[in-house]
Amino acid sequence: MYRYDDFDRHLVAERVQSFRDQVARRLSGELTEEQFKPLRLQNGLYLQLHAYMLRIAIPYGVLGTRQLRRLAQISRRFDRGLGHFTTRQNLQLNWIRLEDAPDILDALAEVGMHAIQTSGNCIRNVTTDPYAGVAVDEIEDARIWAEVLRQWSTVHPEFSFLPRKFKIAVTAAAEDRAATAFHDIGLRLTRANGGATGFRVLVGGGQGRSPYIAQTLSEFVPQQHLLSYLEAILRVYNLHGRRDNIYKARIKILVHALGIDEMRRQVEAEWAAMDKDALDLPPGELARIRARFASRPLPLVEWQDAAIDARRRADAAFARWEKNNVRPHRSAGRAIVNVSLKEPGKVPGDANAAQMEVVADLAERYSHDEVRVTYQQSLVLPHVAVRDLPAVYDGLVAAGLATANTDLVTDIIACPGLDYCNLANARAIPVAQAIARRFAEPARAEAIGRIRLNISGCINACGHHHAGNIGILGVDKKGTEHYQITIGGSPGDDAAIGSILGPSFPAEAVPDAIEAIIDTYLSLRSKPAESFLDTVRRVGLEPFRETLYGTGRVAADAPTKEPVHV
Amino acid sequence: MSMVVTANQLRSGAVVYLGSTGDWVDAIDHATVAEDAGAMQRLEAIAAAAVEHCEVTAVYAFAVQIVGGRPVPLTMRERIRAAKAPTV
Repeated sequence: MYRYDDFDRHLVAERVQSFRDQVARRLSGELTEEQFKPLRLQNGLYLQLHAYMLRIAIPYGVLGTRQLRRLAQISRRFDRGLGHFTTRQNLQLNWIRLEDAPDILDALAEVGMHAIQTSGNCIRNVTTDPYAGVAVDEIEDARIWAEVLRQWSTVHPEFSFLPRKFKIAVTAAAEDRAATAFHDIGLRLTRANGGATGFRVLVGGGQGRSPYIAQTLSEFVPQQHLLSYLEAILRVYNLHGRRDNIYKARIKILVHALGIDEMRRQVEAEWAAMDKDALDLPPGELARIRARFASRPLPLVEWQDAAIDARRRADAAFARWEKNNVRPHRSAGRAIVNVSLKEPGKVPGDANAAQMEVVADLAERYSHDEVRVTYQQSLVLPHVAVRDLPAVYDGLVAAGLATANTDLVTDIIACPGLDYCNLANARAIPVAQAIARRFAEPARAEAIGRIRLNISGCINACGHHHAGNIGILGVDKKGTEHYQITIGGSPGDDAAIGSILGPSFPAEAVPDAIEAIIDTYLSLRSKPAESFLDTVRRVGLEPFRETLYGTGRVAADAPTKEPVHV
Repeated sequence: MSMVVTANQLRSGAVVYLGSTGDWVDAIDHATVAEDAGAMQRLEAIAAAAVEHCEVTAVYAFAVQIVGGRPVPLTMRERIRAAKAPTV
């Protein structure tokens, strides 16, 4: 994986020293809160419901074992021994003291980490495919391009005060596992007829109160010109993006207002006038970055192993976990292991310090020191030899991390919601827990098949509810928490925004409503292999509306099976 | 409407409430309840001074009802803050 060089280390160390000074001046009263707030946000420090929250950047979701162990140490020493992995592939610590923040940033800097650009109206942490570099369906390792973008966007002087935050996702695989169509810019690496690689550039996607699917701005930008093309997009946005209304400031609103053709015309005009040589990646730099991602040679290992075959036959739980959580690796004899942070009844995306250390230990021993964070709020061990799967599984079981539910109905994305977040209108976590408990029986979840269920506690949509096959949005209805249900959303290649089924439900009725939707799907699917999303697209919304709102079905005041208590 | 003034401690970020003697207390049970505009103005003046002295930040008031002699927030958000913990 990529290692920071002296330039990176110096930059991060300088930033920590600056922030230490800023915190001291705030505590002494030299800075007012109004003056200090943008400075702390530039270092990822928010003031939330209960305390300060530190959002730590995990560039493109890649962590070394030393870094993960350090996160565990920090959570234990400065927080409550917990970390929350987010839909931006970052980590949030929810119980931080302002006076500790400089020491935490120092501890992060020692392992090449920081919280820069995890907040503010700048280019945020670039996200990518959690299987980048090991996926069987990729053209190139997307981490290389994510790192190029990280270096380009870090404290970029022209783009540090954009109209609004700006999120870029990049993927280089056939399957979109990075939700590129829901980003301000989505980059899909592609190969031209002649064999050269470049990028299909999507622009104007996003969720929040005005969800949009990104549109294609360019079918093919040669890779050597990616940075100048992105500069052109950002310049058009920086100039014309609205600064008078926070709700209309994202680039998606500009693209919608101009239309994609006019947006393209303006970007192309800006690009044509640029000195591309001054802005594009210098020759040789890509090779330098690529070399830093060169994997250690993976020893050839056998696909078949008598011990693992025996284990599959003897241990149904292991076989289930392997079936649901293990994915093929591009190297023969190896596998990608998904470490689910979605045990039914637990907080989606949370890992305690001991669990982080177990994952780090397993990564060190079995996965070449590398861990990935997924935007679905779980972890990945990307390089496990198939013959080591039983040992990895046993290690995960001991740590409570072997839930066999990757991409199943209990693999729920949920934002922190009103339990932690200052912006939330309703809680997301207890609703996710109640639903996950309802479908906790593994055979039942498997019978339902692959489905994405996402919950947000407010319209800002950190829980990606618009992109959920089933989406749940918490709203404040006359002082009570209610939940609006959408279906038909998709974060993938067939990206779609979910459609609202009808009036919202109180929290205690949500599990019943979701169960009714799932049961309707099971009764309507043409065959077990027809996914929930395919069924919805085939039959439309009406059968599901009838289920929820027709006579005698789930009603807003339906009796509860699993009440959500405060 | 009965009101309580809350804030976060500047150094720690911890939730606190304005108490009867102008001090900041951890428990909402010990918060001063303003029953009229005059009382509210007095609390706001104390809170503004505390902000000036870098004791607290993010000051605001919220509505409560008195149950069994104790202030209980009307909103879920303030009930969660008063509990000093998530509900999960």
